[in-house]
Amino acid sequence: MAEVRVPKLGMSMTDGEIVEWSVADGDHVEAGQIIYSLATDKVDSDIECPASGVIKIIGDVGVNYEVGAIIAEISEDEKK
Amino acid sequence: MTLPTTDALKGIYQTSMIIRRTDERLLSMLAAGQARMTYYSPRGQEVISATVGALLSDDDYVVTIYRGLHDHISAGTPLGPLVAEFLGKASGTCSGKGGPMHVTYPEAGMMVTTGIVGSGLPIANGLALAAQMRGEDRVTVCNFGDGASNIGAFHEALTLASLWKLPIVFLCQNNLYSEHTAYELHSPVDSVASRGAAYAMRSVTVNGNDPDEMWAAADEAIRHAREGGGPTLLEAMTFRLRGHTYGDGGSYIPKNQMADAVEADPVPGLRARLLREGLSEADIVDLESEVDRVVNDALQFAIDSEEPDISELRTDVYSSEVFA
Repeated sequence: MAEVRVPKLGMSMTDGEIVEWSVADGDHVEAGQIIYSLATDKVDSDIECPASGVIKIIGDVGVNYEVGAIIAEISEDEKK
Repeated sequence: MTLPTTDALKGIYQTSMIIRRTDERLLSMLAAGQARMTYYSPRGQEVISATVGALLSDDDYVVTIYRGLHDHISAGTPLGPLVAEFLGKASGTCSGKGGPMHVTYPEAGMMVTTGIVGSGLPIANGLALAAQMRGEDRVTVCNFGDGASNIGAFHEALTLASLWKLPIVFLCQNNLYSEHTAYELHSPVDSVASRGAAYAMRSVTVNGNDPDEMWAAADEAIRHAREGGGPTLLEAMTFRLRGHTYGDGGSYIPKNQMADAVEADPVPGLRARLLREGLSEADIVDLESEVDRVVNDALQFAIDSEEPDISELRTDVYSSEVFA
């Protein structure tokens, strides 16, 4: 299982707000696919998925999370 | 003019793939929040440095900038300690105190990585001058981007290098974007190489993503420098397939320009070339599996390494130890 944590998008970034998820809980996701948008005091960024598998969404839209907070988990597909 | 042999092309592809896979792993760690460094992806520029690396000897010097992973790897910096340095680990090339911006590994000739645009050129002059004064035949390759050609230090360095006939190759990796600004919006001249005329310097522009063109031009420039002919301003045209830094989605890059560049990605292009040269699909898959193994081992080494001890703050500061 891979953890998805809030990334550090710049030297001074300490936290960020999830603007939207582009995938739904339980969806199959591919590494490199855009899975959510993160807003910081400087910039809004589309964040790529770090691994392939089934996503369990933990972080809520509109909530501010510290860098390093776990906002999703990706487990391997059972079918494969 | 020389062209790369099939074996040389295979080596360039292998180095390019090590760079590509390392870049993918680092971007994935950043996206997962497992790594927190400032990271400047060299995606799309691999073939330039992999080709130059194949042409340099162990004694030659390399200077690069913060977008330097491809140059570090191609210069021969061992991958485990290199990645550990990126992650700020004690086992890194600079004990984790340099980070991506300041990688140094003199044992492989990887002399300086600078974090300030254009600042590497005068330092490279110093390295080349030292080699010249000592009567050594080493060549210095100084990497920088198109944005650096507008910095004063670029013009000062080219002036002295030309005047003193320094054994140096000024390698401009022109990826068409200076941070977030397109080339035509930051430079009044059609090519960076055209600036060389002001300094009576041998100047060439090539498609850096084409291993034949890159090999021929770099081989000639390195030879010219080694034989005492002086410096070359070598402009290698390329494209940055990622934003300036991790977290920059590159919204200022026109979508069709990016799509065309992805289509012309030099790494898969080189793979197709190897097949045309007669390598079998199985040969290439073997090579790629070996690359995956090397990259996985290096990443694991770096991830498993400890962070530097606080006492490291007092080492490598002055030539003598700093006491608490």
